[in-house]
Amino acid sequence: MSSKTVPVVEAMNVKKTYMLGKVPVEALRGVNLRVETGDFVSILGPSGSGKSTLLNLIGALDKPTSGTLRIDGIDIAKLNDNQLAELRLRIGFVFQFFNLIPRLTARDNVELPMSIADMNKTERKKRATELLETVGLKERTNHKPAELSGGQQQRVAIARALANNPKFLLLDEPTGNVDSKTASEVLALIQNLNKEQNVSIIMVTHDEKLAHQAKRIIKVFDGEIHSDVVN
Amino acid sequence: MKGIDVFGYSFSAIKLRKLRAALTTLGVIIGIAAIVALLSITQGLQATITGQLNQGLSANTLIITPSSGSFGGGGFGGGGLSDASSSGFSLHVTDTTEIVALSPDIETAVAIISRSGYVQTENLNRETTIYGVDFEQYAQVYPTFRTTEGTIPTNPSENQVVVGTNINQPGQNGTIFFNTGDTINITWTNATSGLPVNKTYSANVAGVLERIGGLGIGGPSDTGIYIPIEQAQSFFGTDQCNMIIVTVKNNDNATITSVSNAITSHFSNQVSVISATAVLSLLSSVFSTIQLFLIGIAAISLLVAGIGIMNIMIVSLIERTREIGILKALGMKSRSVLAIFLGESVIIGLIGAIIGIGVGWGLAIVASQVLGSGAFSPGAGGGGGASAFTITPLLTPEVLVGALAFGVGVSVIFALYPAWRASKLKPVDALRYE
Ligand SMILES: Nc1ncnc2c1ncn2[C@@H]1O[C@H](COP(=O)(O)OP(=O)(O)OP(=O)(O)O)[C@@H](O)[C@H]1O
Ligand SMILES: [Mg+2]
Repeated sequence: MSSKTVPVVEAMNVKKTYMLGKVPVEALRGVNLRVETGDFVSILGPSGSGKSTLLNLIGALDKPTSGTLRIDGIDIAKLNDNQLAELRLRIGFVFQFFNLIPRLTARDNVELPMSIADMNKTERKKRATELLETVGLKERTNHKPAELSGGQQQRVAIARALANNPKFLLLDEPTGNVDSKTASEVLALIQNLNKEQNVSIIMVTHDEKLAHQAKRIIKVFDGEIHSDVVN
Repeated sequence: MKGIDVFGYSFSAIKLRKLRAALTTLGVIIGIAAIVALLSITQGLQATITGQLNQGLSANTLIITPSSGSFGGGGFGGGGLSDASSSGFSLHVTDTTEIVALSPDIETAVAIISRSGYVQTENLNRETTIYGVDFEQYAQVYPTFRTTEGTIPTNPSENQVVVGTNINQPGQNGTIFFNTGDTINITWTNATSGLPVNKTYSANVAGVLERIGGLGIGGPSDTGIYIPIEQAQSFFGTDQCNMIIVTVKNNDNATITSVSNAITSHFSNQVSVISATAVLSLLSSVFSTIQLFLIGIAAISLLVAGIGIMNIMIVSLIERTREIGILKALGMKSRSVLAIFLGESVIIGLIGAIIGIGVGWGLAIVASQVLGSGAFSPGAGGGGGASAFTITPLLTPEVLVGALAFGVGVSVIFALYPAWRASKLKPVDALRYE
């Protein structure tokens, strides 16, 4: 990683305040963070500490209340809704809950981001099949989410996140809803992506053991980064 | 996102809730079917009536009747002409000469005296309308006054008559009651003064008219009997006529208007002058009003369908909040979300309109057959007249395209608000939604 490359994420004094009626809730109180290409960061912290909030900002789903956040060198505060949507196409996001579209098959779910990105049908079908093969679901391409186990659904979600060849992958509790065996399978998959394809990974988790598999561990507490250590 | 993929996605959403989609579509089907059925029947009816009128009343023909007896009394359908006008004013057979002298644009003026009466042979006793006309002039004005059998005598003797085809063959089924050359009795009941008195004379059938069918104002009728005007004057004991038919040399609007005005003022506004142009324009304005009214009623059902669509879309929007969040988080633009929701309404509107047009057309055919089989025969001059008057429903390209556009348009308009709300959802909020 040469220092000349643009960091995938660069946060400077990022704050996010939600308004609950008239009461402000400070979910992030000034976060400074820099993630380089090829990094594998895990974010640890208690419930309500602001992990999802941070990840949503990095995923360009929302804008910070103040501070500067650059994704792939772009200041997201300056983007309009359309530009934010375009930026999201370059980010792979695995949500806290799997969030697959229930009526679509595994393959159609994986194809969705590609169809949003205007890829043609034959191409995206081919790529979706390949991706499902990569996550070990070759036999399940025509199954709907309800016909898959939790771990399988999570792997479909990962395949979907990888669909448009994202620069980096954001995972919000990817193993939160699966057993420990599945969790280690999913982790192995993520590590593999990071190692072999140099995809930057930012993973939110509750699980200390899992977090320690990452190259770098960030601990969030009450909307602030408490520690940031290289593993 | 490509249009085809947007459409495919919309379709997959509809497929998930088939029953719901079917019921929503049913609303559109009913609305469109009602519009199409009503319009194609009325347009068919209008085309039929206009066609018949054009046949029975050419553009260069004017009909003069005493004012009080004007349109209704003047015998729409050729029957039941009023005997005398109540205002005291009457038209006279001799007025024709004065009328012709009014304007160089006038070609001929033909007086018609008509009375209800009976025609009798050994086996037949039938109600009819007796018309006294100048055979030669009448035939010039109305080309349909021509025979299928026998001839129309140019200088008829007083007892010569020409009959409509329903008179000698009432059923139009081959049973012929008399032929050319036969003698028939013509009876008229004089009830104008004192006790009713029956008057009868024996006439000789000179010709039987070709089948005319339908309506004709002042024109020959299948159920009429035509006697020479001089005979009518002496038989009915009058020189007053019920109407005078005038033909003009040019049928442009200016000529017709100026001739009409000249005639009306000559008779001190005591006559009404009807022209084909006037009747047709009156008719078409009447039909436009009827159609507007019918469309209005049908549109209400489509409005209800539209509200149903809106309702369903709002429910669907709430159910799919999370899905919209996912789509947006995956990089879908607001306008694609809008397009997906509108796409669903377009599909519903399009399917509804296409089925609705089919159903409406079917209804129109069934309805026109029901109407044509009875209710709409003009049946002038009494029983037995089998001159069934068929309505052929008419589905014009305008109605077709209009119905399609209306069905889709209403669906889309009512989907706009829910679709807009869907497109405005923020991805974070939508994802948090349970
Ligand atoms: N849209 C919102 N409106 C109001 N408050 C919010 C909103 N989103 C998050 N918060 C608040 O911000 C704080 C941080 O929430 P966040 O979801 O980031 O926590 P988290 O660390 O991801 O928790 P968990 O581990 O339970 O997922 C919480 O107090 C939460 O209630
Ligand atoms: Mg969270």
